[in-house]
Amino acid sequence: MPAATPAQILPGTLDLLILKAVSLGPLHGYGVLLRIEQISRGALLIEQGALYPALFRLVRQRLLKARWGTSENNRRAKFYELTSAGRKRLREEADGWNRLAAAIASALSTRPEEA
Amino acid sequence: MKPLAWLRSVASALLHRSRAEDELDEELRAHISSRADDLERSGVPRPEAERRARLEFGGYQKFKEECREALGLHFFETLAQDIRFGLRMLRKSPGFTAVAVLTLALGIGANTAIFSVVNAVLLRPLPLKDSSRILSVTTKTPMFPLFNLGNSWPAFQQIRSQAASLEDAAVYNTTDRTMTGQGGPAQLRVASVSDGFFDELGTKAGQGRLLRPGDHRPSENLVALISDAMWRTHFGADPAVIGRTLVLDGKAYTVVGVASHSFDFPEKTDAWIPIALTGAAESQPTYFMFQMLAKLRRGRTVQQLTPELDTIAKRMMHDYADLGDGFSFNATPLLETRVQNLRTAYLVLLGASALVLLLGCVNLASLLLARGSARQREMAMRAALGASRSRLMRQCFVESCLIALGGGAIGALLASSGVELFRAIAPAETPRLNEMAVVSSSLLLWSVAASLASGILSGLAPARRAASANPHDSLKENLGGKQAAGRTLSQLRLGHMLVVVEIALAFILLIGSALMTQTVSNLLHQDPGFRTDHLLTFDLPRPRLSFDVDDATIAREIDRLKKILERTRAVPGVEAVAASDHGVLSSRTMMHSELHTDAAAGREVPKRRASARYVSPGYFNLLGIRLLRGREFTEQDAKGAPEVALVNQAMARAYWGTPDVAGRRISLERDQKTKQPIWIDVVGVVDDARDVQVANEPMPEYYLPLLQEGTSSLSMAVRTMAEPGGIAQTISREIWAAFPDQPVTHVSTMTQTISESIGDQRMRSTLLMVFAGIGFALALIGAYGVVSYSVAQRIPEIGIRMALGATPDGVLRMVLRQSMVLVAAGVGIGGGAAFGLTRVIASQLYGVKPGDPATFVLSTILVLIVACLACYLPARRAMRVDPMVALRYE
Repeated sequence: MPAATPAQILPGTLDLLILKAVSLGPLHGYGVLLRIEQISRGALLIEQGALYPALFRLVRQRLLKARWGTSENNRRAKFYELTSAGRKRLREEADGWNRLAAAIASALSTRPEEA
Repeated sequence: MKPLAWLRSVASALLHRSRAEDELDEELRAHISSRADDLERSGVPRPEAERRARLEFGGYQKFKEECREALGLHFFETLAQDIRFGLRMLRKSPGFTAVAVLTLALGIGANTAIFSVVNAVLLRPLPLKDSSRILSVTTKTPMFPLFNLGNSWPAFQQIRSQAASLEDAAVYNTTDRTMTGQGGPAQLRVASVSDGFFDELGTKAGQGRLLRPGDHRPSENLVALISDAMWRTHFGADPAVIGRTLVLDGKAYTVVGVASHSFDFPEKTDAWIPIALTGAAESQPTYFMFQMLAKLRRGRTVQQLTPELDTIAKRMMHDYADLGDGFSFNATPLLETRVQNLRTAYLVLLGASALVLLLGCVNLASLLLARGSARQREMAMRAALGASRSRLMRQCFVESCLIALGGGAIGALLASSGVELFRAIAPAETPRLNEMAVVSSSLLLWSVAASLASGILSGLAPARRAASANPHDSLKENLGGKQAAGRTLSQLRLGHMLVVVEIALAFILLIGSALMTQTVSNLLHQDPGFRTDHLLTFDLPRPRLSFDVDDATIAREIDRLKKILERTRAVPGVEAVAASDHGVLSSRTMMHSELHTDAAAGREVPKRRASARYVSPGYFNLLGIRLLRGREFTEQDAKGAPEVALVNQAMARAYWGTPDVAGRRISLERDQKTKQPIWIDVVGVVDDARDVQVANEPMPEYYLPLLQEGTSSLSMAVRTMAEPGGIAQTISREIWAAFPDQPVTHVSTMTQTISESIGDQRMRSTLLMVFAGIGFALALIGAYGVVSYSVAQRIPEIGIRMALGATPDGVLRMVLRQSMVLVAAGVGIGGGAAFGLTRVIASQLYGVKPGDPATFVLSTILVLIVACLACYLPARRAMRVDPMVALRYE
């Protein structure tokens, strides 16, 4: 665990993070968790159990597809990968998120004389 | 998610439910173990690592539950919850539940009963093997252009051997024969059948054997197959019945088999015997005496068969000049020929019962809506606590479906007694009556389907409202805030629309039943043109005389007839007696194959041919049919005297264009050698009477003296001094004293005969009346409910009006006026629809037109008055609103 206090993720962003994590290669559930921690450099804290309802939701929305396979430590595990709809959704959400983040960042960096 | 995808995932979740559950567990556990592995690798001891992994994972059960929801595994658990909750709500208001369930039970019951009947009569295949390929072939000839006739033997032979689309064909004809030697003389319905008949219908013998090709030898072969019913009633279910003797018309037949229990073709047949062809019948192409069954080859259609039949008909016209131009064959599926007359009538009944069901649904919807307003807050609370819209909507559907299924269960019970009732009141000649099961799988299926459909239909309005439930507004109301006026208005509008629909539906039913009731009454009171009181009729069936009968036999028959007349006349209480060859109002007509008149050469021969009736002297006098010209038949018009005829006015006008035809001549046959017509004098003209069918205009008829020609079977008419009921026994005994083997059948008073002849119309009008009654009651309950509800909703408004000076009378008038606008709109729409729909039953009406103004006006007045009463009660409540109390609600 990194030393800095990790931030609770914003509601609604978990799906986006999962899509992003999976977009980098098929992962099982625990792998998704590790990947998110890794790509956020430990800055984001995810309640581990909450991952699964989100994964199942994404599968039902046909953004992810799941298949059973064997994990690196020889456990039977369910692997998730992006569908084309998932890839599209990831692009849209990421764009939206970037725009929002940029807007908020620009708003927050406003100095008194600019107001 | 798209509904289809959702359905698929629910379905797969349902199918793979336990597997999905297992996999879910496995996946979550795998996660925890992997985490524990990682922790262990970083130096934490295993037990501690596992504990930490579980802790980090969070609430296992909670997430598992969420996962199951996400997977769609949840649907059924929550559905079960909804059902439990729905049941609790229904139990909480038993009055509402009872009314709602009964409302639908009536609708579903009526609809299911009629559907079962329609299914049994019209839709279900005949209980014969490959029945869809079995056709009935009939003959059309220019001789009798208005009739579908049977087929001649030569035509049967040609069709059987030459129509390539046919697998096989068989013919039969049905006659009534007198059975003796098994108790008193009885009349049996006997089918003479050709070979191939049983093969084609695909039946097997219950005992012994069927008739087989060897039985159909050219010479007469006296073997018989008896029906299962016959075996039980007349042979006491004798296990050794094979080989016993059956005496029909004095000939002894050997019983070779008993038909299977379910085999009943032609309907109500008691015995089957091989066809015995007499010389003329075998070769004459104009003896149209056989009904033909033809079986299509597999994969062939009637359309393919028709040109083949046309070719055969053309060749026959060429070969036999007698047939005349326009001779043709017509093939129709057997089922259709048996039910074609009933199709419209039954579909109308089905439609009417569907209207009743629809009314029930609308009524339930308005009941649910009215009650829904009381549950607004509950819904709002659930929405505020996070229940999804779809969940609230589902709750509404679950409740309406629960009510509907309850209604369906009671409805199925009602329906099965309805079918029983139908069998009891349906006229005996209704086809397939005995195939009709009181409880059948189709009945149960239909009632379930009808309940679910009506549950969903009547849940639509409440569900729509639940979906629009806004927790904010509703909860504010709870805290004493004002009702969201817009939504109340839209709810009221919905309720009002439902009232309009209900009144419209009920009005259609009312009009239909009013027209049908008038039809029955018109038929009952139609003057048939003869005296129907104190009139007893019965038949004395006898073996048919052969075509080439000798004079001695005729003389014997005439002698027998005279004796019967004398003996009957001598019975105390008998005023007069007459005989004819076929019965009054028996719906039967007899026609000669040739009929010529001495009318002017240019005069067109009417398309509707005159029919013949042989009558004894005194016939017209007895029936009270007036003689208009000339004279009646007398005892002198006997065998050997110059042949004479009487015609009725309809025939005189149709053939000669004048009633003054006494002294003119008609001809019914040609001289064998010279081919010249043999002329008969018309000695008189009688008034028209509806002696064939009450519902039909008098037909052109001519009468011939029974004493001149003789006939085998007789139909007797007896005018009695007292009520005719009791005298039949005495007359029968008197006849049996002289002719012990003579069955006396169809004993009936004329009043009964007329009443039975309209049995079908009467049954339909009874059913329509019941439907209209139910529908009307439902509509009134609905209107009452909606007006009550709207009054309750408007109490504050009415309070303000009264505080501002409106009088109670004024308020009453206002509420009534507004309700009556709805009723009037319903009547208007219903009237328009009824005007269009009643055209469908135009052919079933008698003496009243589909758009009969009086019926429409009277029904409108009736509906307005009754609906006014139904609205008056709640409106009075509005009048009693105390402005102070009402305004305190604000």
